[in-house]
Amino acid sequence: MIEAASPRPVAREHDLVGFLGRLDWVLLAAVGALVAYGLWAVAGITRYDVEGDQLYYVVRQAIAAGLGFAGFLVALAIDPDRYRRLQLPIYALTILLMLLVFPLASETRGSRRWIEVGSFQFQPSEFGKVLFVLALAGFLADRARRLGEGRVVLQALGLALIPIVLVFKQPDLGTALAYVAALGACLFVAGIRWSHLGALVAASALAIASVVWFLPAAGVEVLEPYQVDRLNFTNLESDPAGTGYNQTQSITAVGSGGLDGRGVDAATQTRLDYLPEHHTDFVFAALAEQRGFFGAALLLGLYLLVVWRGLRVITVSRDAFGTILAGGIVVAFLFQVFVNVGMTMGVAPVTGIPLPFVTVGGSSMVVNLVAIGLLQAIHARGHTGRRGAR
Amino acid sequence: MASGYPERRSPSGRFLPPDPRTAEPHRFTPQLALRVGMLAGLALVVFAVLFLRLWALQVLSGDRYLLAAQDNQLRTVRVEAPRGSIVDRAGRTVVSNVPGTAVKIWTADLPKEGRYAMLQRLSKVLRVPLPRLTKALEERKGDPLTPILVKTAVHEDQVATLLEHRAQFPGVEIVGTYLRDYEYKALGAQVLGYVGEISPEELERLEKDGYRGGEKIGKTGVEAAFDGYLRGTPGLAQLRVDSLGRPQGAFEERRPAQPGNSVRLTIDVGLQRAAERALRHGIEIARGHEAWNANGGAIVALDPRNGAVLALASNPTYKPSVYVGRVDPKKLEPLTVEKVAKERNYPGINRAIAGVYPPGSVFKPLTALAAISDGLLSPFEYIQCTPFAEYGLDNHRFDNWNPFTNMPMTLTTALSQSCDTYFYDIGNRYYERGEREREYWTAMQEWARKFGFGQAAGLDIGGELPGLLPTPEWRKQTYRGIDRAWNPGDLIQLAIGQKDMTVTPLQMTRFYAALANGGHLVTPYLVSAIERPGSEGEPAVPLRTFAPPPPKPVAVDPQALSVVREGLYQATHDRDGTSSGVFGSFPVPVAGKTGTAEKVVNLPGYPAGHMEDQAWWCGWGPFDGAEYVKDGGGRRAPLVVCAVIENGGHGGVAAAPAALKVFEHWFGEQAGVQGEVLSD
Repeated sequence: MIEAASPRPVAREHDLVGFLGRLDWVLLAAVGALVAYGLWAVAGITRYDVEGDQLYYVVRQAIAAGLGFAGFLVALAIDPDRYRRLQLPIYALTILLMLLVFPLASETRGSRRWIEVGSFQFQPSEFGKVLFVLALAGFLADRARRLGEGRVVLQALGLALIPIVLVFKQPDLGTALAYVAALGACLFVAGIRWSHLGALVAASALAIASVVWFLPAAGVEVLEPYQVDRLNFTNLESDPAGTGYNQTQSITAVGSGGLDGRGVDAATQTRLDYLPEHHTDFVFAALAEQRGFFGAALLLGLYLLVVWRGLRVITVSRDAFGTILAGGIVVAFLFQVFVNVGMTMGVAPVTGIPLPFVTVGGSSMVVNLVAIGLLQAIHARGHTGRRGAR
Repeated sequence: MASGYPERRSPSGRFLPPDPRTAEPHRFTPQLALRVGMLAGLALVVFAVLFLRLWALQVLSGDRYLLAAQDNQLRTVRVEAPRGSIVDRAGRTVVSNVPGTAVKIWTADLPKEGRYAMLQRLSKVLRVPLPRLTKALEERKGDPLTPILVKTAVHEDQVATLLEHRAQFPGVEIVGTYLRDYEYKALGAQVLGYVGEISPEELERLEKDGYRGGEKIGKTGVEAAFDGYLRGTPGLAQLRVDSLGRPQGAFEERRPAQPGNSVRLTIDVGLQRAAERALRHGIEIARGHEAWNANGGAIVALDPRNGAVLALASNPTYKPSVYVGRVDPKKLEPLTVEKVAKERNYPGINRAIAGVYPPGSVFKPLTALAAISDGLLSPFEYIQCTPFAEYGLDNHRFDNWNPFTNMPMTLTTALSQSCDTYFYDIGNRYYERGEREREYWTAMQEWARKFGFGQAAGLDIGGELPGLLPTPEWRKQTYRGIDRAWNPGDLIQLAIGQKDMTVTPLQMTRFYAALANGGHLVTPYLVSAIERPGSEGEPAVPLRTFAPPPPKPVAVDPQALSVVREGLYQATHDRDGTSSGVFGSFPVPVAGKTGTAEKVVNLPGYPAGHMEDQAWWCGWGPFDGAEYVKDGGGRRAPLVVCAVIENGGHGGVAAAPAALKVFEHWFGEQAGVQGEVLSD
C-alpha cells in the first residue's frame, strides 16, 4: 500500500497505533452506539414475531453486524485511491449486480430485490449503492479540472443513469432515489458549476413532474399506480384502509409512543401487527412506539452525529476522490434516514428504504458498515490524520 | 470511463506521469467549504423537520394517537338478542330458538389480494354458491362496517374446518346465533310467518327504529307484525383483535342484549292442528266426490263473543323451517318462484285472510237480514221455489241449483234448503225498489258493508285482502261500454253471493260470528298479549295485553236475526237441511249454511273461463252463542267456523265435514253416522 508518490513517507501499516490514532473516534463511537442501540431496539420490536424464538432476528442482525465489522476493517485497511484506479471494474460489477437480480431474484410483493445464496438473501441494490458511489467518485475525481465542462457532467450523468434505471426497474423506487441523491451529492461536492447544478435540479423536477403527473395524464404509465399513490402521501386520509393504511398505522404507532414509550408488551401497534413491516421498512415507527420520544430522539441524535462527522470527513480528505466519495456516502446516508424516518411520520412518501443500522437486513447492515469504513479510511489518510487526531 | 489518467499538458513540462494529487494538491478550497456548509445546512434542516414532527406526533398529540391505537384493537359488534318466542293461548311454545352457528364476513378485513380465492375456498367449505357470495359483497360495497351474513346453521364439521384454517380466512367470523325452531313443523305456517335477513328496502324504512344491516327481521305473519316486540334489543360487545381480525381474548360485554318478548296468540294449537287436518280431510272428500281439482282451502275458527281467532288454517302450506339456516333454494321455490308456486297452488298465501272467493249461498243470510230490515221481505211470506226464474226485460233465465223443487217456502225453509229462486226474487225486489227510490239503489250492499264485507276485517297481523262488494259505481269505474250498466242480474246474483262478489274466509267468519252473538260485529285478533318470559319455571309476566275493540252492534232487525238463525239451525237439523246429514247427529247444537260458489278458475289443461265450484260451509255452535257445558262438566267457548275447499264442489259434501271435524275437536264430542248429504 505504500505509495511512492505520497508526500508522506510514513509506513502506516507498520504503525498501527498511529493509524488508529488517526481514526475519527467520535464517528466510530456514534456508529458503535447506533449498532448496539439498533440491536437492542430490534430485540424489543421482534420479540413476538417468531413464535418460540424471541431472539430470532436479533441473532441474525448481530451476525450481520459482525460481518459488517469485518467489512469495515477491510475497507479501513485499503487505500481508497485503489478504488479510483479500479473504477472501471467496479462500475462493471455494479451493472452486473443490478442485472443479476432479473434472472435470479424471486419476486417478493411484486418486486425483485433479493437474491438467495444458500440460506442467505442478499440485496444487490444495497451493495450497489457503495459501488456506484465509488465508481462515480473515481470518474469525477479523474476529471476534477474539467468539471466545469458540461460534456463531463453529461457523461457522468449518462454513466450514473444505467444503474439507476436498473434499480428503478426492479422495481425499487426508494433505492433508485437514494442513488439519485448520491449522484447529486457527488456532482455537488466535486464542484460542478452552479449553472449546471441549477439546470440539473430543474431537469429532475421536470422529470418527476412528468413521471407522476404529465405522463399518466397522457396515458403513459411509467410508475405503477401504487407507486404514484404512495408518492401522493399527503392525502392518505382519503383512503385510510387502502394505500394510506400502512402510513396511517405507522403515524398512529409513532404518536401512541408518547414521551417515554409504551414498552415492548404494551406496544399494540407493533405487537398485534397493525404496523406492517415493523422490523424492516417501518422499524422506526415500532421503535418510536416502544421507546417513545426519548428513544426515537436518541436515535435521530446519533444519526445527526454520524452525518456531522461524515461531512467533516469531506473537508479533511487528502484528494478529490475522497472528498467526492465521502460526499456521496454522507448524502446517501442522510437521504435514507430522512426518507425512512419521514415516511413513518407522514412527511415523506412510502418507499422501501431501510433505516441504516436498525432495519433488520444483512445487506444493509454490512454495506452501511463498509461505507463507514470508507469514511474512516479517507479520514485516517487525510489532512487531520497527518497532523494526528484532533 | 478512463482507467488511467487523461493525457494533458503539464504546465511544468516535465515528463513525470501526470498525477492530480501532485500536480494539483487537493486543497480545502473556499468553494468546497461553501458546498459542505450547504450540505450541513441541509442536514440540519432535515433533522429539524424530523425532530419537530416527532415532537408533534409523540408529545403534542400523543394522547390522541394512543386512543387511536387502542381503538384499533377493539371491534364493537352488535350481539344478537334471542328472539322472543311465540306461544299459543295456553302458553304452549309454538316458535322458539335453538342456538346455531353463523358465518359472517367483515368486508373491511378481506385481503386485498387473493380475495376471490378466499371466497372460493369459503364457498367450498360452506357449500354456498360462489355467485351468491360475490353478489352479497357487491351489494354491500358501500358499507364495509356491517358484516355480511354468509350462512346460518353452519354444520359443526364446517366450523371445525374454518377454525383449523383460520389464517386462510381473514375477515371471516364465526358467531353464535339463534335459529327459529318450529315446534309443530308446518303448523300455522302462514299465520306465524318467517324470519329472514333484513332487506335493503326494509333497512331504509326501519333504520331509524334501530334496525341494522345483517339483522334478522320478521317477514310475514306474526313474526313481521310483532317484530318490534319479538326482536329484543341487540347488545354491544367489544373484542380485541389483531390486524388480521383474529380475536385476542374473549368478548367483553358493553351492553347486554335484551331478549325479545314473547307473543301470546289466541290460537289454540290443538284446534289449529285439527283445522289443518280437517282441511286436508275436506280436500280428500271433495276429490272422492268427483271434484278432482280440489287443491286447497282455508278454515277460520273464532270465538264469536270477542273475535279471538282460535284457528286459522290455510292449505296448501309449507314448513317455515325452509327459511332457517341452511337455506336450500330448491325448497324455497314453491314460495319464491312464480312458476313453481303456481304448480303448488301458492303455499305461501294465507288463504284465510288473503284468499278471495265468491261466497255463494253462505251469503244468503245477509240477503235475508237486509231484506227484512229494509221491509222488502216478511219472514213468513211464501215465495215459490222453482227450478228457475226469469227476470229483466230480456227474460233472462236464472237457474236454481235444485231443478226438482217446486214449492212455496218461507225464509227458514229457503235458508234450510238454500233455495236460489227465493233469493233471486229478493234481489229483484231490491233492483226494482232501487229504480223507484234511489236511496235503495245500493241498500243491499250497504248492509253487507255494515257486516264487514268489502273491507279488511282488521286482523292484527295485517295482510288481508278486502274482497269485492260490487256496486253500480264500481261497475261503472271498472268496465267499458255496455258492461258498465248495472242490471237486475247484478243484484239478483248478488242475493245468492254470485257473479262479482268476493270475500275472504275471515270476513265470512266475522259475519257468522255476528249471527251467533246476536248481531255484533267483532274485530278478529290473533295476539292477546306480549309477555316477558319467566325464567326457570316461573310464569311469564304479561307486559301488554291487547283488548280487541268491543263488538260493534249492527242495527239489524232483531226479529230478522232470529228468523235467519232459525233458518240456519234448520239447515243443519231439518230433514231437508243442506248439511243436516253432517251436523244432525252432533251433540252440540250447531247452525250453519252450505255454499257452492261458481268461480272462474285458471287451471292447467282447462280453457279460459272454466268454472269450478268452491265449497263453503259457515256456522256456529252452540246455537245460542253461549258457552257449551259438557255432560261430564267442563265448559267450552262457543265457536264459529268457516271452511272453504277450493274447487271442492258442493259445500255440503266437502266443506261441511271439514267444519264438523273442527267442532268435534273443540267440543270434544263426536257426531254420529253421517247421513246422506243433500247438495247445495
